[in-house]
Amino acid sequence: MRATKRFAFAAAVLVVAVVALAIEVLFPASPVTEVIRIVDTGYLASAVRLSVPIAFAALGGIFAEKSGVINIGLEGLLIVGAFTGVAVSYWLRGGEAVAVMPGVVLVLVCVLALLLVLAFLGLLGSGVRKIGTRVGGGLLATVGLVGLTVVLTDASQSATWLSFYVAVLMSVALSLLFAGVTIEYRADQVIAGLAVWLIALGAAPFASNVIWGTVNSTSVPTLDGWTVPLLSNVPVLGEILFDSDPTVFMLLLATPLSWYVLRRTSFGYWVRASGENPKALDTAGVDVRRVRYAAVLISGLFSGIGGASLSLGQVGQFIGSGSTMVAGRGWIGITAYLFGNYNPLGAFGASLLFASLEALQIRLQQLGYGLPPSLVQTIPYITVIVVLALVGRTRIPEAAGEHYDSGED
Amino acid sequence: MNTDWLPDSVAKLLGRLVDASAGERLAVSVAAVVASVLLGGVVTFVSGLFAECATPTFGPSCYNPLSVYYYLFLSPLTSSFSLSIMAEQTSLLLFTGLAVAVSFRAGLFNIGTQGQLVLGGLAAALTAVALGPVLPDGAIGGAIIATVAMLAGAIVGGLFAAIPGALKAYFDANEVITTIMLNFVAADVAFFLVSTYFQKPGSGSIETRDVPEAATFSPVVALLMGLVLVAATTYLLWGTSFGYDLRTAGLQTEAAEYAGVDAKRMVVASMTLSGAIGGAGGAVWVLMAVGRWVTGVPPLGFDGITVSVLASNNPLGVLLAGPLFGTMSAGSLSIDFQLGVPRQLVGVIRGLVILFVAMPEFFRMLGARWGLGGGVQ
Amino acid sequence: MSAPAVELRRITKQFPGVLANDEVDLTVERGSVHALLGENGAGKTTLMNVLYGLYRPTSGTVVIDGHERVFDSPRDAIDAGIGMIHQHFMLVEPMTVTQNVVLGNEPRKWGGLAIDRQRARKEVSELAESYGFDVNPTAAVEDISVGEQQRVEILKALYRGADTLILDEPTAVLTPQEIEELFAVFEELTDAGKTIIFITHKLSEATGAADEVTVLRDGKNVGSVTADDVTGEELAELMVGREVLFDVERPPVETGNVGLAVRDLVVDDERGVRAVDGVEFSVAEGEVLGIAGVDGNGQSELIEAVTGIRSPAAGRVYLGNSEITHRSRRQRIESGMAYVPEDRQARGLVMSYDLVENGLLGSQHDGTFAPGGRIDWSGTEAHAADIIDEYDVRPPETGATAKSLSGGNQQKFIVGREFNRDPEAVVAAHPTRGVDVGSVEFIHEQLLGLRETGTAVLLVSSKLDEVRSLSDRLAVMHDGELMAVVNPDEVTEEQLGLLMAGERPAELPTVAAPETEVET
Repeated sequence: MRATKRFAFAAAVLVVAVVALAIEVLFPASPVTEVIRIVDTGYLASAVRLSVPIAFAALGGIFAEKSGVINIGLEGLLIVGAFTGVAVSYWLRGGEAVAVMPGVVLVLVCVLALLLVLAFLGLLGSGVRKIGTRVGGGLLATVGLVGLTVVLTDASQSATWLSFYVAVLMSVALSLLFAGVTIEYRADQVIAGLAVWLIALGAAPFASNVIWGTVNSTSVPTLDGWTVPLLSNVPVLGEILFDSDPTVFMLLLATPLSWYVLRRTSFGYWVRASGENPKALDTAGVDVRRVRYAAVLISGLFSGIGGASLSLGQVGQFIGSGSTMVAGRGWIGITAYLFGNYNPLGAFGASLLFASLEALQIRLQQLGYGLPPSLVQTIPYITVIVVLALVGRTRIPEAAGEHYDSGED
Repeated sequence: MNTDWLPDSVAKLLGRLVDASAGERLAVSVAAVVASVLLGGVVTFVSGLFAECATPTFGPSCYNPLSVYYYLFLSPLTSSFSLSIMAEQTSLLLFTGLAVAVSFRAGLFNIGTQGQLVLGGLAAALTAVALGPVLPDGAIGGAIIATVAMLAGAIVGGLFAAIPGALKAYFDANEVITTIMLNFVAADVAFFLVSTYFQKPGSGSIETRDVPEAATFSPVVALLMGLVLVAATTYLLWGTSFGYDLRTAGLQTEAAEYAGVDAKRMVVASMTLSGAIGGAGGAVWVLMAVGRWVTGVPPLGFDGITVSVLASNNPLGVLLAGPLFGTMSAGSLSIDFQLGVPRQLVGVIRGLVILFVAMPEFFRMLGARWGLGGGVQ
Repeated sequence: MSAPAVELRRITKQFPGVLANDEVDLTVERGSVHALLGENGAGKTTLMNVLYGLYRPTSGTVVIDGHERVFDSPRDAIDAGIGMIHQHFMLVEPMTVTQNVVLGNEPRKWGGLAIDRQRARKEVSELAESYGFDVNPTAAVEDISVGEQQRVEILKALYRGADTLILDEPTAVLTPQEIEELFAVFEELTDAGKTIIFITHKLSEATGAADEVTVLRDGKNVGSVTADDVTGEELAELMVGREVLFDVERPPVETGNVGLAVRDLVVDDERGVRAVDGVEFSVAEGEVLGIAGVDGNGQSELIEAVTGIRSPAAGRVYLGNSEITHRSRRQRIESGMAYVPEDRQARGLVMSYDLVENGLLGSQHDGTFAPGGRIDWSGTEAHAADIIDEYDVRPPETGATAKSLSGGNQQKFIVGREFNRDPEAVVAAHPTRGVDVGSVEFIHEQLLGLRETGTAVLLVSSKLDEVRSLSDRLAVMHDGELMAVVNPDEVTEEQLGLLMAGERPAELPTVAAPETEVET
């Protein structure tokens, strides 16, 4: 979307907001005001919460596509994250008391397995020493994180957090599969992405059925909210941003961090070069393959957080019927980053926009204006389509979608 | 291959279709199915370790992969009842598979066949129900109703697909996402329309009235329709100028431009055609399989994608891949009822097949290592 | 006397079926400018790729500054002080000059967590200044001129500590003025002690800019000489191995009415930048109008507007007496316009189609091949076979895919297909690019044959010899405008060079345009 179009769009949103405010002040009793009153702090807080899975998917998607690997399977990664979180949480609660140690072991085993696969693929460097240090370092960091989690929370919350970690790792594993297939075996990225999505779409309800006998899981506890001591008392913003799901905080951290990495670090330069002119990066002496793998794994990491945040952070259950509880958020995430022109900040804004429409749709249904729920539900999807039509030809990275073969001979 | 006995034009046409690299693509497709099924078996076994059952049937696992294979692939062929289910599924997959094949050939990723099918089916059901009282009872009346209903389905499906087509052509909107979004919209809109205006009175589920009995037909008829469609699509793609334009546009847009193809019109036309076939498939589902429109439309659209990808988007390939998945689809109900293995297993295999077909490199490398396929490029 | 900067000893590089380098010896003295001269396919780029570590030599040794080296990858070569500037720049377009130069070697701060952008900018500016380069460190690469981009490439190599710079056909994309600037840069660099090797197939450059010239032919080193001691003719003989006469018979032909014309044509490129700015010409039936010029001065967009691939922003296009400005591509094909495109692999052929289907490209709606919209495959196959036969396309199999053909054969097929249309007008863009010498002659003959039968031919080519010998009138394009239309038989190379650079010398040999008028 050209700069002028975006500007016009932002201006339009501003105008609508001002008009809405005016109506509320001047005509307090009108029905329109009632609708406007929907937008209260509760609504905004809920919008922010709802944006988490979409935004994380979007952030991940940015890294992947910027590096030249279009990850269409984000929806599938979200599904895997959502399901695994609940499944592991359920497993840890199988016995009398909540079992934390098996969770810790599971996390470590997963991390070790992932690192070993990466080493095997040659992505951790060469030489036993180098690989050894890196694997060791990774395990140590995990132990640190896990230890911190167990120490700081009670058994039930620890179990939930550990399940969260496993969910993220599972999403990373699936993204690693996607990366391998597209980078090593040069699969068509769109088709491979669709495959990832369809595999997850089948596997999650399947596994759900195996464990619980239906496609929906039983309930598990969600993550406790965090309240930042002073900041949460700030009017309006306090309730929205600082008294919420831990995953909201993760998002508020991840967004500027992603921006920073892409624009101010060497890795960010390499990711961008890899997607625009991988040959340039190669001749500059940087391993394009490694950069692309890293970018795709990041998309797996973020999507895992997004998916787990949905099931473990908010709902407390995995719903596998129809298109699963993820219900297209991965696709909306892709649209969000296209709309945001591959800028993490823009993607966050766009995700917030879509999420607020979802929140609106929920609120409208609750208020029961007689709008048929099924039609109201289409609002977010139709908005995505409209946005895509407006966004049109974004400047997609030159080499996105193309395989890169480094070196002859 | 000796084609002397075929009329020259047909022989030439087939020659175009089955070119030099077809052999390799067939090998990859077969390998993909085998690999996916094997992997599916492993998934079955492993999940059987976690499942709860009275007595484990296969070592420690509750699920026996071999039984699963039997019920998925062989048992559907054993009884006339299951054969008819298999024919039913296959004919539907011929429609959706061809719908996807047409669009993929044109270079468009139409993932919206499901939505096009849902709305096309609804249009067909409503048309048939409306025409019921108007036309005389009996075979001829029924045939007319069925024809008009299928036409309605095709038209609605085509128009619904023309939307993302136009958005792509004139606004460059990514068709993967728009078609997927429209799948959701189609389901919601159909639900709304039926539950509000067209609900069958006295029924507990969201469904339309039954279509007139005379307008329904058997799976065999549907299968024949599917075969005709395969032939027609083949001819369209390789025997006509329009088909040449479509294929060229899907392969190299610049070359198509050079050859005089109007890119935008072609995008809309191919999407519309794809949607029309998908919509007709929906009509067939209504008229042949369930006799009305009801919520919970089976994922024929997605299975169509698998069939087409497996068939390398080739109509003749769809003829081979369709029955394979039709059988699996029919078998998926059995594995659930007879073995307690969740039927979503087929969904997993579906995804795996697409993944494997997407990476021929993988099989090439395997083949090289095992010394197979020496002359294959 | 110090050791030579680079010594290649008996380098041999064998590819399957092709011996690209055959026991090549090369010695380059430090601080010199060394030209590597040869025709297309002589093995120059391969040799330099060996030096740069992209290829491992099948046999032979590489000696840098007196030390034998083995390069496993370009990284090793870079470490040894070798820098390469490729013909197609390795630049990341949306990133800035500074970002491109430091890519892979970014200066860091805060323990490596961030890039020290200020230091990067400073280092790049200082580096540029020390060699007298004119670059804007904060400009995005996609916004600067081609000449500037090339300088960025050179800076990249220097930033990495290159002592020896290899440039592959550096002048291919430059205007004559930019070429002079580049040669001035060479001098600055050698004054500072750097060594330059540049690959070229242009004699004048070799003699003009280099101290030493090595000529490669068919993979062998056929002579290394000092530039001052040798004449152009001697070099040409070494390059080609025999006397080449570019002599085409161009008999006078009586011209008819207007075949092809444009008036006040204005065309914008993809990005909305004006590429063609008010061009006007007419090509009569039976005439060849040549358009010469450095690539990138609007020729592509001009052709696209004439052939219907791109809509002009303003102006009119005529085919015969009808205005076709807004007619579709398909209509133009049907009206008898043949088009040999610049990009044979993306536009002229569908690589995965066989030659039969490729023969149909453009004619798929033609009544002869597809009556009533139904394709007649027998007829189409016969047609393809005819083309293959007439134009000596190898291998002569209609079932071969376009992908399996060599570039020259692909080009021959396309030319054959287009010329066989019995067209009213032919638009040919670089029709002999990549074609072997023998086939070039054949294509030229066919083109002149079309001319004799009264077809109007618009020929765009960057091969000056070709466009001079084939054209009846020669136009030169610069920066979207036609500088002049001259008599190709009388105009001198200097005059052409000036025109191509945007200057109009006095006293140009013109030639009378045929008596044609376009009914507007």
